[in-house]
Amino acid sequence: MKRKIRIPNLGGARAYLLHRPHATVQALERQLRAIGLEVVACWPDLPAEALSGDFVFFDADQGYDAQFPWKPGEGPMPMIALIGSEAPGRIEWSLEAGAHAQLLKPVGDGGAYSALLIARMAFEARQSLSTEIADLRRRLDERQTVVRAVTLLAARGKSEAEAYDQLRQMAMAWRVSFEVAARRVVSSHDKQGDGNDRRDLG
Amino acid sequence: MKERIELGLLYSRSGSYSLISEACRSGVLGAIAEINADPGMSLSFVPIERDPQGNTDAYGPLCEEILRESSARHVIGCVTSWSRKEVIPTLEKAGGTLWYAVPYEGFEASDHVVYTHACPNQHLLPLLGWAFVQAGRRGYLTGSNYIWGWEMNRLARDVILGAGGEVLGERYLPLGALEIDRMIEEIRATRPDFILNNLIGPSQYAFLEAYHRLGQEDAHFRAATCPILSCNLTECELPAIHPAAAEGLIAAGPYFRGATGWPDAGRNFGSSHEAAAFSAVHRLARLLSGHPGAETESLADLLAHAPGGTEGIDPSTHHTDLPVLIAQVENGAFVPRERLGPVAGDPYLAHGRDAVVPGAPSLRVVS
Repeated sequence: MKRKIRIPNLGGARAYLLHRPHATVQALERQLRAIGLEVVACWPDLPAEALSGDFVFFDADQGYDAQFPWKPGEGPMPMIALIGSEAPGRIEWSLEAGAHAQLLKPVGDGGAYSALLIARMAFEARQSLSTEIADLRRRLDERQTVVRAVTLLAARGKSEAEAYDQLRQMAMAWRVSFEVAARRVVSSHDKQGDGNDRRDLG
Repeated sequence: MKERIELGLLYSRSGSYSLISEACRSGVLGAIAEINADPGMSLSFVPIERDPQGNTDAYGPLCEEILRESSARHVIGCVTSWSRKEVIPTLEKAGGTLWYAVPYEGFEASDHVVYTHACPNQHLLPLLGWAFVQAGRRGYLTGSNYIWGWEMNRLARDVILGAGGEVLGERYLPLGALEIDRMIEEIRATRPDFILNNLIGPSQYAFLEAYHRLGQEDAHFRAATCPILSCNLTECELPAIHPAAAEGLIAAGPYFRGATGWPDAGRNFGSSHEAAAFSAVHRLARLLSGHPGAETESLADLLAHAPGGTEGIDPSTHHTDLPVLIAQVENGAFVPRERLGPVAGDPYLAHGRDAVVPGAPSLRVVS
């Protein structure tokens, strides 16, 4: 698959560097400033303001969950692990902490720009997948409601296919999702106690 | 007695882009001659030269040889981005610095490179802005098949689409290839408003001649209605282009022959390649002069400690402020049509990537 991505403009973005003072921090800071980012270095804790940051770089070697003002893996921005020791346990922890990309230490003259872009793309892809999954899950949960609504509409002498189509048209007329329309049909029926009154159902 | 400081030179004196190398090299040698003759300068430069002969794989080893076999820590050289990227790991290892004096595609700010020619916010963005006003927003993109062409066209596509324009085609040729018929056929069929030329060397010369022939058959394909735009074409390559095919070409650059203001040298230059290389050597001399031991410092330390300031080199990006001239070939010489700036080099386009429309006052200076 060929994806054409519009390279984001990183000028003015803010990156938090969660790493003890070290040559790696200096080298990374230099790269990030050249790219146009504002840089805030901090250790050992990420301050609450980091919630409004655009990127977080964190130390995979000495990092731990309590450093972050959010639950593991729930960081609200792209996160990049700074990995020195490629030990499986540390890599596993970095992934659980929510790394979208990584940069190997010692950090030298390059690597930051590609890490920023890859982390951003991975973060956005993960965000849109999560939204899609939540939506599908919600629709899955509403299956029973849809079945009930179609049954209620069909009880008025329509075929199942006609009832389904009617529900689809209601959703369009009300400008709501199919599942929301089904919920309205069912709750209207539940309120009236009797499914034969069609006044509210168009 | 002047302190003698060895200075590496890494230019290809043969191969497909030797005209550009020679222009840069003459800028370097001219600056060295001036500095060595200047009693006010406490140093003189001794050139340590290696010739990669246009072979990209030779740049890394030859740069390493300069840094190993001489005391030089500063090397001026490289024309293609590909060769520049080849020498950076060597510079990193030895703590050396490359002075790079040709336009490039941006998205780099090495701790070991000073970029003394233009990057896209100093060439491509203003050039497209000019073209949108003068010619239109429907472009055809060409390039040689390596990083310069790819990245320039990628950015151009973003800018053109962002401005509501259209990209009618995008085609690449291997370095040195002369098979330009297909490009010409596509251009004939799509009738763009302008052509962005990121071809280099003989491919470019062949393309320009073929396009000139197309213009003789169909008047649309002439400079007035469908100009060819370049970000790296200077006077140094005009001798390789048929004079009739060169007529009307549009180029952006910080200098064209006869321009004043930059570099403020009190003399004329053959091209912006020569001017940028000349200015690089002078900046280095001023950074080192009266500052004993500075020649072994890393670039970061040199810029941090220089008693006279950073000589216009931005310490975070290692790019410089440059004027932007848009010029057109008229009777065999570039004649400026528009002048902006000076504009600070913004390699990652942190200050935006829209086409810079000449004459819009708020866009004249990027600070």
